[in-house]
Amino acid sequence: MAITLGKNNSGAAEFSSVGRSIPRVEARAKVTGKAEYVHNLRLPGMLYGKVYRSTVAHARLHSIDVAAAQAMPGVHAVYTAADIIKLIPEPYYGPAFHDQPILAIDKVHYVGEPVALVLAADPHVAEAAAQLIVAEYEELPAVFDEVEAMTSKAVVHEVLKPAGTFPDLKHLKDKRDTNIALDFHLRRGDAQKAFAEADYVFEHTFRTQQVLHLPLEPFVTVADPTPNQLVIHTASQSPSFVRIEIARLLGWPENKVRVKVPYLGGGFGAKLYIKLEALVSAAALIAGRPVKIALTMEEQFYTLTKHATTLRIKSGVSKDGKITARECEVWWNGGAYADIGPRITQKSGFTAAGPYDIDHVSIDSYALYTNLPPAGALRGFGIPQLVWAYESHTDLIAKGLNIDPLAIRRKNILREGRPQATGTVMRDAGIAPVLECLAQRMAWEKPFDQGSGTIRRGRGIAIGFKASISPTTSVAIVNVGADGSCMVHCSTVDMGQGSDTAMAQIVAEALGIPVASVTLVHPDTDVTPYDMATLGSRSTYHMGHAVKLAAEDARDKLLALARDVGLSAETTPIPDIFRKKYGMQAGNIVGIGSFIPPYTPPEPGTGLTQDATPFWMIGATGAEVEVDTETGEFKITRLVNLVDVGRPVNPAIVETQISGATIMQLGFTLSERMDFDAGQVTNASLADYKIPGIRDIPAVMENEAVDMVQKSGPFGAKGVGESGTFGVSPAIASAIDDAVGVRLTSLPLTAEAVYRGLRANAGKPLKG
Amino acid sequence: MSPFELAEPRSLKAALKILDANDPSVRVFGGGTALMLMMKAGVFQPTRLISLRGIEKRYAKVTSGQDGSLHIGALITLSALGRTAMVKKRAPVIVDALRTLSNVRVRNVATLGGHLAHADPHMDLPPVLIALGAQVVTAATTGSRTLAVADLLTGYFETALAPNELISEIIVPSQTGWRSAYIKLTTRAADDWPTLGIAVSLQTDGKVIQDARFVVSAATEKPLRLPSVETALRGATISDAVLARVGEAAVAEAELTGDAHGSAAYKTELLRVYAGRAVRKALAA
Repeated sequence: MAITLGKNNSGAAEFSSVGRSIPRVEARAKVTGKAEYVHNLRLPGMLYGKVYRSTVAHARLHSIDVAAAQAMPGVHAVYTAADIIKLIPEPYYGPAFHDQPILAIDKVHYVGEPVALVLAADPHVAEAAAQLIVAEYEELPAVFDEVEAMTSKAVVHEVLKPAGTFPDLKHLKDKRDTNIALDFHLRRGDAQKAFAEADYVFEHTFRTQQVLHLPLEPFVTVADPTPNQLVIHTASQSPSFVRIEIARLLGWPENKVRVKVPYLGGGFGAKLYIKLEALVSAAALIAGRPVKIALTMEEQFYTLTKHATTLRIKSGVSKDGKITARECEVWWNGGAYADIGPRITQKSGFTAAGPYDIDHVSIDSYALYTNLPPAGALRGFGIPQLVWAYESHTDLIAKGLNIDPLAIRRKNILREGRPQATGTVMRDAGIAPVLECLAQRMAWEKPFDQGSGTIRRGRGIAIGFKASISPTTSVAIVNVGADGSCMVHCSTVDMGQGSDTAMAQIVAEALGIPVASVTLVHPDTDVTPYDMATLGSRSTYHMGHAVKLAAEDARDKLLALARDVGLSAETTPIPDIFRKKYGMQAGNIVGIGSFIPPYTPPEPGTGLTQDATPFWMIGATGAEVEVDTETGEFKITRLVNLVDVGRPVNPAIVETQISGATIMQLGFTLSERMDFDAGQVTNASLADYKIPGIRDIPAVMENEAVDMVQKSGPFGAKGVGESGTFGVSPAIASAIDDAVGVRLTSLPLTAEAVYRGLRANAGKPLKG
Repeated sequence: MSPFELAEPRSLKAALKILDANDPSVRVFGGGTALMLMMKAGVFQPTRLISLRGIEKRYAKVTSGQDGSLHIGALITLSALGRTAMVKKRAPVIVDALRTLSNVRVRNVATLGGHLAHADPHMDLPPVLIALGAQVVTAATTGSRTLAVADLLTGYFETALAPNELISEIIVPSQTGWRSAYIKLTTRAADDWPTLGIAVSLQTDGKVIQDARFVVSAATEKPLRLPSVETALRGATISDAVLARVGEAAVAEAELTGDAHGSAAYKTELLRVYAGRAVRKALAA
């Protein structure tokens, strides 16, 4: 059937493509094993790389003996930093700081840091040879704790080297003898004065543990040095960034580097910026052959993690529960390399006081270097750590004043039209609606069965919010063929979140054509235009706008083309318009869209701004638990997760994004923790580091997008990937406290910690 | 993983013949689930592996003894064991333990003989088989012997097997008059090695317990029978007071070790509570 341009739905209330739960466009390819992944890629003449890693946390690197590895039959070459420097004189990379060397130079900063690389045609040979490498170290004092890192004599990097990308890091250039990779400060009103005048002051300290992403597809990159270009096939969430950064390292123009990304087996923030790409590119260029490095599941523990944090939070409160002032100090354990940590420190840091209407706010947020594996973005970008602290704190205040947890939130909640701590006025932020919807779902104001005997029941609620990272750019091209079918060129990476489907729906809606006639061109920097990255739940909003603008541009051009040839594009099938113009099935229409939202950077010192974010993400969780008072074991009997995602583009995918985010955070809440011994991860395997399995998921789990519209979003939509993580940890901790009177302040929440709390409450603390 | 030679003998006799007692880099495997992990981690680098999967089919079958005992071929996969009607009927505790033993992919290839010979103290079936009073029959070029599962497991990843000796059969005696239960406690995710395992078998006459076997595992070097608990149970009629005594006897006798699953002190408290719960579960079986 010939495709005719439909009516322009952009301003309509009823949509034909957006808002429908159409099946994912890639679903069939994935379940039949036909979807493309870098893992499956083999090129002729390709060598496999195996990384030799540091065995100490902090040391001067005296020598590396690679002779035995080099002599092993089948080994093509062994490279160290000395070889890299010949190709790339300044081999340091990173989005915030140029602090990370491609291979260790002079020093190692954490156990697991890449020191040397073995190349062989047989990956088993490369692996065996890597075990023959011997490095000599002179160990240095190390620092592992984020609070100690503030004043520690052990300094991870002698000199700080900001990348120059972010203005608020410029003051750190050439700074020496500090582990502070960013100090962010927000000052609103006069918190100290308000504390002095408050009826009550509450202060608590909370901690979160180091965890990691663990996508089921570990990091993998192939680099192919072709005669004209370096072609990089990589499982990356940020192909545009990879191209720019590799070009910068090599001193090449961008168009000499081509980055291609097929589907990803999960990303969650791990596969951002440069991970393996610089090492694989350098090795391929030196060897003059294609090189592949595919990390093992275990090696992911040495690559990127989520910040452990210490959070101190203090509130001034009136007798009736109104919060008048709040002071937050947050220490982010960034590990040995800054990665994107300093952005988390600021972009999430400014929400550390929570979604509450507080006149006097003081926030100090510190990004710290330590001698642990680097930490970066992980689904929520620091928000789950902050919500853990401010919602636990809110419940402790409620308990202290004998106020109901819902009542204290209602009294203080940040409502539409009111300024957030930065001064930015809240617009289309469904904080109060999400809270009310949660109260209703939980039947909060009805009596609750608290259990009896050795099984006690409890419930808890928690709500959090997040700003979108700003300012960031997305560019898209919509290419309409002469038969009316349409290709969308965009660099958004579909890593399982369903962006291909969402973009196809948005383009179909804007053109008024069926979703089935739209296909997505996967990220390939030779053919898909710039996109900042697939991160921070930004794609639906930013790339959604860009593809919509591109589709509208294509539509306008089609209308003009039809007019030129004396036809009406709204009644003539598209192929007939092309045929009349070109005399045959020929030609195409190319629409272009580019989007960057407005943004005002925060004032240095006060952190205040009138426009902190293009949109807010809201997420709340309600939990019901049963606790065994004899053992501390607990079971989550019900988990309700509500979010404001604006208008869902695809409700079924939105629901799986909420449940997926929640389950991921459930692991970080209950069972996941990287254990260390002198900086060495001691549980670097899926056997010893426990992510949730199907039997760990609560029997009853409800996931829902509250009825909202983001007026500034494409067709009323906004981001959804992270909101399900926000409330999970504090809601469960609160439910445990409600059940048995044990308040845990450190994650993960374990049965043993609950049991120890029960014993302490009974005046018989468990020894040992 | 480094390259190695793979032998696939067609008979148990042939397998025994090529098993070199003096070369620890030559190993047999059934399903290979534990061995492959050790090889992947670089802990074990074989020169030659001997697959037992091609030997006589009778070593993967369950037959009935005249006295109602179960004779289980050592090469039976764990999932086949769990599907065997005779096992379900005569020793349902084995089927119950298999439900949460690792995952279906592992159970589909892992063998009962390998499960025992690996002697990892976190395994689920060794404490169950000890509670059931099971024995193993072994084979070597020099002959065969029979020993109790409790005597097979001598320590942390250690067995009484000679380097050239293989388990050929597991014998579970008739369970007439006995009721059994196994409790696997995990403290992190549900799919995890046990923090603590407790297996109980009780011979009852009406409400009175005539005889008992009580085994604790996972937090000990090897599965351990606790005689003081068994003494406390013999002749008793179950009440809260008796179960409290059982819990006290268990923690007084068992020395548990702490690890990433929990401290020794917490595991001890779990044992104190779950000793009685395991007895109740067995009585309800």
